[in-house]
Amino acid sequence: MVRASAAAEGAGVPSVSLVCEGFLGQAASTAAGLGMPDLPTAAVPGHVDVQSPEELRRNVLTVTVDAVIRGLTESRPRASGSVAEPEARDIVLEGTFDEVNRFFYENEWSDGLPIVPPTRERVAEFLRFTDRAPDEALGVLLPDRRQATIWNVAVNGVMAGCRPEYMPVLVALVEAMADPHYGVEHSGNTPGAETLIVLDGPIVKELGFNYQQGALRDGFHANTTVGRFWRLYLRNVAGFLPHKTDKGTFGNTWRVVLAENDEVLHRIGWPSIAYDQGVTAPNAVTISRFTGGGVIVSVFGSTPEQMLPYLADALARQVGWELCFTVGLATGTQKPLLILSPILAETLARAGLTKQALQRELYRRARIPAWKFERLIGEWTNLVPGRPTLLDLVRAGKAPAVFAESEDPDRPVPVVCEPGDIMIAVSGDPLRTNAYCFAHNGMLGFPTTKPVALPRDWSRLLREARSR
Amino acid sequence: MDALWVLLPTGQRASGEWIDDTLRERVREKGLLARTPLVGQFPRQRVELVRGADPVAAVNTLFYRRGWTDGLPIVPPTLGSVEAMLGWSPRARHDVLGEVEPLRGLATVEKVAANAVMAGCRPEHFPVVLAAVEGILDPAFNARGVQTTDENVAPLLIVNGPISQALPVNADWGALGPGWQANATIGRALRLVMNNLGGGWPGAVSFAGLGQPGRYTLCLAERADSPWPPLHVELGYRPEQSTVTLLRAETAINVTGGLDELASVVGSAASLFSILHSGKVAVVLAPFVARRLAAEGWTKDDVRRHLHAGGRLPAETWRRSWLYSAVDARQWPAWVHAAAVEGWIPAVSEPADITVVVAGADLAIPQHAYFPSWGHPPCRISREVVLPPDWRERLAAEPA
Repeated sequence: MVRASAAAEGAGVPSVSLVCEGFLGQAASTAAGLGMPDLPTAAVPGHVDVQSPEELRRNVLTVTVDAVIRGLTESRPRASGSVAEPEARDIVLEGTFDEVNRFFYENEWSDGLPIVPPTRERVAEFLRFTDRAPDEALGVLLPDRRQATIWNVAVNGVMAGCRPEYMPVLVALVEAMADPHYGVEHSGNTPGAETLIVLDGPIVKELGFNYQQGALRDGFHANTTVGRFWRLYLRNVAGFLPHKTDKGTFGNTWRVVLAENDEVLHRIGWPSIAYDQGVTAPNAVTISRFTGGGVIVSVFGSTPEQMLPYLADALARQVGWELCFTVGLATGTQKPLLILSPILAETLARAGLTKQALQRELYRRARIPAWKFERLIGEWTNLVPGRPTLLDLVRAGKAPAVFAESEDPDRPVPVVCEPGDIMIAVSGDPLRTNAYCFAHNGMLGFPTTKPVALPRDWSRLLREARSR
Repeated sequence: MDALWVLLPTGQRASGEWIDDTLRERVREKGLLARTPLVGQFPRQRVELVRGADPVAAVNTLFYRRGWTDGLPIVPPTLGSVEAMLGWSPRARHDVLGEVEPLRGLATVEKVAANAVMAGCRPEHFPVVLAAVEGILDPAFNARGVQTTDENVAPLLIVNGPISQALPVNADWGALGPGWQANATIGRALRLVMNNLGGGWPGAVSFAGLGQPGRYTLCLAERADSPWPPLHVELGYRPEQSTVTLLRAETAINVTGGLDELASVVGSAASLFSILHSGKVAVVLAPFVARRLAAEGWTKDDVRRHLHAGGRLPAETWRRSWLYSAVDARQWPAWVHAAAVEGWIPAVSEPADITVVVAGADLAIPQHAYFPSWGHPPCRISREVVLPPDWRERLAAEPA
């Protein structure tokens, strides 16, 4: 809402944003991040969704209307918009390990686990693993509008416990975070979805990422610390703090990096996630925000005909309210992820299925009744206001024709707009017949892929790093 | 070497800016760097680690030079002491109560707690401090005006209800000070909030020509043995509720004698600014007089009517005043013009604008106080003190 108001004000139209009580702090921070710290807001007590029309009317009349009038009639002094904070190379504390950790935690620079103190020496080690200058900017991140730099990537990498040689991956991740396509500014929304990083290429093995049994489990240095880096960077540079700018109702812990099984992909001739995303560089990271996921256990059968119904059913069951990103709120941005264990992928490939053919099969089978789709987006949730039917949306040009193949409310409709919207990765225990399915947060964390740029003398640096 | 982990008590705006950066400019312009040579010089973060052989003294020196005190020594707002404060409020530490005018630092529960620790509050005082801060955030209080005017106004805090006796907030000997921790520290905490979150630094942002002792603290309770319903009950609260009532007060004027002596002072000491804005004034009535009046059948309303009728200044005095010549005649309210025709102007528009509380020692030489008011809009703001459900047990368990 605040972002819409900022756009209106930018176009010269005065605005007041109606903001539910619990979101006032976030609204102020968001407005400041957009460079409009004085954007007026009008509080609506409580949350409108659980109020009767009479309650809502009373609240608006007694509280909100006055604030709207004030916001449109009073002028507020302009804030300068510049916030003083420590410089990149300032030493903020000299002290013991315990003191540094308490200091970082109390100043909200840590996630609660001990951090590795980011000394200049440690940061310098990380900087050896990039050819880019320490002060080079990678973008500006909302809501704090802080600049992402090579230097602060290294600082947060040190803090997360990464090894210096992970630096190329960290830089690629921040480039992806700063890409407007991804939408980092949405990272504090209430569904509290968490990003999953998918890593592809020979670098998986070079850096020792786990890509086999326990692929999403902690316990592997590279997967764990790079995943932690992501969250620390969102906190310390973008500026997402729980109880302040991060309004995730529940949220969950950061996810460890999912590394794909390159060998298996190569053997069965399936492209990687990064390749599907259009990036052909040998090493690449893909980020995408997923609301939640579930494991699909014991996929039984030796043929696609036996296996596909179960996998497709899982895809259909995993999405609920997120269907508003399929059609309605941000049509065509729902990109669920299906992770197949190698043995499942190999069995399907052996039967002749390419990845594209598999996507088509899943698209054809992962369907739900139209009435249920409509209720999830517009009746039970009010995410698409006005309760439009899928037929309405197709007629208005806001949904593909496949959603209006008949007028039967029981007709099956797909959970994504196109077969290619179903992302498929291969990882996990090579010999177990399980899969994993993630529902996606749509445009509020859209899949974004960046190549991992290696420093010129990568082989030598890596050799040195390994021999330490 | 010892170390203290202290929370920074100073204000940050919603935009993230620190109010000290504005204050530094104002202090330089006004040539006030001698008092606060370290204005704006502090780590831009939540918590600072202060080391030294005597870290309490180090914090005091630092905070004074950064402009974060009222000139008296402060208690370092350590993480532990702030935590103890927070334990007396159901609100979350990062909850924002509002923006403190005029520099609009965010009054988060945690920042208010840090200032309460500095003022010397005990944790059980914190709910009263929070209620008082909510009071100055009410637009009717006009904190922007109070903080920046050249008049010497200060918030007057009147505490009512069970908490006032339990803490206790003194309503007896020397109710206006000194000597009682709650009166001394609750009022001081509010002043530190106004200084550190609102930026009301004297001479830099606050242009009160003289200031007044009530700007250190101005907080009392009403006597529980008053013969009349207490202030909060008059204002519609239940007796078992605890409240803080705020008025914008000019310096207390002491009066010895009966109701007629008090009325005479109400008239002669009436603030023309108060009259101009139809302000609400306060009188603290001696218990000896209150009891005698009540025995004769007087109510608080009768007292107010008597003071309204007797507390008047000659219209001629008004016409000869500097304020009369300074403002356009049309700015004076109709009731003033109407009263001037009769020859005498009451201190307030109507009797209900006089807040009456009974406090002070029960002396046969009765002593009252009169607080003229300043500014607009007319204000008498009350907030309930939100207490933990088990506050009585917790208070009983406190070491004596």
